[in-house]
Amino acid sequence: MTFTIREPKQTETETEERRRLYMELENCIGCRSCLAACTQCGGHEQKNRNYVYDVNPLVNRETMPLMCLHCVDPACARSCPAQAIQIHETGAVLSALVEKCIGCQNCTIACPYGIPKFDEEENLMYKCDLCIDRTKDNIPPMCASVCPTNTLQWLTESEIEVKQSKNDVGNDKWVTSMPYLEGETNVTVNLPGILQGTVKLF
Amino acid sequence: MEDVKVSQTVRNQQSIDRAFASHYGKSMFLAIIGLLILTFIGTRMFTHVDLNLYGYIVGTIVFIGGFFYRFISWGERPPTKVIIKKGIKLLLRKNTPKTSVEQLATYRFIWNRGIYRWTQHILIGWGCVLAILVTFPLVFSWMYFTMQENGMYTIVLFGMDLMVVPADGFIAFMSYNALNISAIMVIIGVCMALYRRLRNLQARAEQQVIYDFLPLYLLLFISITGLTLTVLNLFFEGKGQYVMSLIHQFSVIVTLIYMPFGKLAHIPFRPLSVFARNYREHYGEKSMQACKVCGTGFVSTEQSQDVINVLGENNLTFDMKEGFNLAELCLPCRRKYRISRFSGFPTHEVSVKEANQNAKG
Ligand code: SF4
Ligand code: SF4
Repeated sequence: MTFTIREPKQTETETEERRRLYMELENCIGCRSCLAACTQCGGHEQKNRNYVYDVNPLVNRETMPLMCLHCVDPACARSCPAQAIQIHETGAVLSALVEKCIGCQNCTIACPYGIPKFDEEENLMYKCDLCIDRTKDNIPPMCASVCPTNTLQWLTESEIEVKQSKNDVGNDKWVTSMPYLEGETNVTVNLPGILQGTVKLF
Repeated sequence: MEDVKVSQTVRNQQSIDRAFASHYGKSMFLAIIGLLILTFIGTRMFTHVDLNLYGYIVGTIVFIGGFFYRFISWGERPPTKVIIKKGIKLLLRKNTPKTSVEQLATYRFIWNRGIYRWTQHILIGWGCVLAILVTFPLVFSWMYFTMQENGMYTIVLFGMDLMVVPADGFIAFMSYNALNISAIMVIIGVCMALYRRLRNLQARAEQQVIYDFLPLYLLLFISITGLTLTVLNLFFEGKGQYVMSLIHQFSVIVTLIYMPFGKLAHIPFRPLSVFARNYREHYGEKSMQACKVCGTGFVSTEQSQDVINVLGENNLTFDMKEGFNLAELCLPCRRKYRISRFSGFPTHEVSVKEANQNAKG
């Protein structure tokens, strides 16, 4: 009796354009699906690595997600004495390698957005790795997969360009990096206001 | 007068440094001299060299070369320099022994990561340490055994008689079997690690063959060939022993060469975690950096400043127009400040605790 194992066809994904995480902050309804989904990603060990903030908690219910923006020149990795934070070829800035992290917490102090979390018990830093085992195969990260309002999307460069041209509202709200962020990032963010006059479908 | 003396010593220092092309050359030279001296003493002026073990000597020297190469290129990085410099200064803290035992011997932090992982790590870790502690003193003849007429064994360490034990006693048994025991420990540990990697899809997704599997296979290769040597001796009257011992030596040498570069590099570098703990504890006791927004002390002032400096050396400056550096804000305030920069509303100035960030309902 012989078995043949058929490998899934690779060609389609190989020619596919690379995608990025794209955040449309205006859409967030604060459901925290992205936090819950994050806990379920392979290698995350039930701990979420992203945040959802109330913008003005005493006045209204506006919320915004915040996650690692995967800096092109990441302060976290620059400050790590153990070289425990590696940068994947896709640009994702990975979580600390368990055997290398020496638990100094420099990275948590260095990140301009306060993203890396630290587990005191395990003496180990953990942070968003853009669900690398998914995104390396162009599958969206958990947060973007579940976001019900399209605040978090997994788009190709050309799709992002189309969005940018469609939303040219001339109000400085299209933000991909400087001067709105602290440095170039691999995640594209745009600010509330971008959708002025656009009808939302949800 | 004073000045002249100072410049003299500076010049001497410079000429010593110049004699070697680099730090690398210097460390390498000193380490090999040290090794030679120890071997010289151990072997009573080279009269007691076990030539069977020649391969290991070559392996060790290559390892030292690779290790210094890695260590020096790594130690040049600004954050590493800070930790090493301050870590050495703080080595005499009274917590050092306790921290070292927890970090380097009992692996308490791995226990907290899971009992399975801990068991696997303690078997591999201590198996390797035990094997190294036995093999290398034998290789460099720092330790050997002599048999006396009366059935007593003498264990000789650095040319001194350490102790005399009965040849069929417990200590003697443990010493001849130390390598077998360590081989079995490593084999069980490696099998546990391989099982976890092959079984657990989550773990498998993170694996890279060269980085993750190669060191496990190397350790398995060493342990199995080592154990085979014992089996050949016991049950096959030593047939094929010579070939097998060559294969075994080869496996050890390959591993030593690979050690400073792959996953196993964490073994020589791990003591830095003790430095890191001391660094945090010591400066934390001295003074805490108060968050420039909410006033909570969240990290030592020293570390906050060190991080700012290290980032500065990398051309990353996060001085805000509000007059603080981002490394002077506690983590929740820093995140809220980011939200405020997104929304235009000063979220960080509303003193409401961040709500529900742990996906628990
Ligand atoms: S956002 Fe923070 S954690 Fe993410 S890559 Fe940049 S510095 Fe690192
Ligand atoms: S806590 Fe770990 S990952 Fe973070 S800087 Fe220190 S060693 Fe690197």
